[in-house]
Amino acid sequence: MRSLIGGALLLSSLLSCLPWAAAQETAPTPAPAPQTVTVTSTRDPVDKSYRKMIRGMERFERQHALAPQATLRFRLLPRLPSVHMRGITLKVVGDRITVPVPVTPQDNSFVLPRNEQALREDAAVIANRKTTSMTWRAQVITPGLPPDTRRLGDLRLECLVGVEAGLVSNSSPLFGWISNALNSPEQVCNSPDGNFLFFTERPVFSVTLRAGERTEILPFRMLYAGGEQTRDMLDYCDCQVLLDRTYYAPIWDRSWPDDTLVSFEYMDEPAPAPAAEAQP
Amino acid sequence: MKRLEPFILVAALLAGCATQAPQPGTVVAADRFTRQVVPGRTTRAELVAAFGQTKSVVFDSGYETWLYSANAAGGRSEEVVVLLDREGIVRKLRRRPPYPTDPQR
Repeated sequence: MRSLIGGALLLSSLLSCLPWAAAQETAPTPAPAPQTVTVTSTRDPVDKSYRKMIRGMERFERQHALAPQATLRFRLLPRLPSVHMRGITLKVVGDRITVPVPVTPQDNSFVLPRNEQALREDAAVIANRKTTSMTWRAQVITPGLPPDTRRLGDLRLECLVGVEAGLVSNSSPLFGWISNALNSPEQVCNSPDGNFLFFTERPVFSVTLRAGERTEILPFRMLYAGGEQTRDMLDYCDCQVLLDRTYYAPIWDRSWPDDTLVSFEYMDEPAPAPAAEAQP
Repeated sequence: MKRLEPFILVAALLAGCATQAPQPGTVVAADRFTRQVVPGRTTRAELVAAFGQTKSVVFDSGYETWLYSANAAGGRSEEVVVLLDREGIVRKLRRRPPYPTDPQR
């Protein structure tokens, strides 16, 4: 009981520090003449942080050895069924600066320009869509790979950059903030429980890893966000409308080298010949 | 000693749980399954009648993936996955053998 009272007193004193509490105390004082403030844009707490995204780009440079030939882009993907993914525009918005960011219409990818003033102003990266209607990812692609394949080192770097840049939002804004604060890129990307989701270009039926003579088909539990998502849980997964394109890659498993090829069999294509099946 | 018996029983059950996790999908005989299930022809109703309900994932597109398990050598298990289209016809079937790197059941 004593600790409860102590807690209540502490809470009370903390609340008194809040701006609205202070405003109540000073209310009787005559207000000074109103000042005019020009608001050029409003920031949503879930807008992407420009500083964080630049930190993601710096992470890409530091760990480029994972994908030496690859380049970095960012990509916008649908998160809500209602979102229209054509005609998306993007800008970096600070207190006094706005920098337009061209978005490639074919795949909604973009390169983020570096701007020192926007960094100083702790700018936000804002799209002409509600931020929570889309999911954002880093895109690291080594040129010249066979069709319908990805390279594991590219995926490792996508995870590190994506987490560093604060792109993933698999929970409500409050819990997402706490989760981001507690999980470093290494904790997420180097752990089998990191749960970093990747997306294929089309609905996927099977994913196979190949490194030299070693070949393995990913287990079912590594597709479709583990296959355990209920309708209610999907609201908190950025795979919400991309569930059939979702997979986990074993980026944490160093027994698979960076050059491992990850290949996809899509739902809408004929099955490969039996000889191509992976053997244990 | 008699008072200890329930605890010993519970401990034994828990130990069993720790070493024998249930298989993720309904267990089938893989050869019989691949003989009877024909992509492009087998329907959902035929699948359920022959092999029973199992773990599945339903997508917004109306497609579904169903996961069955089959016993393999060495006490391991194989995955058998089918894809059903929105009309309830099996479109694809694949098998995933156990690999040495798989976690033990």
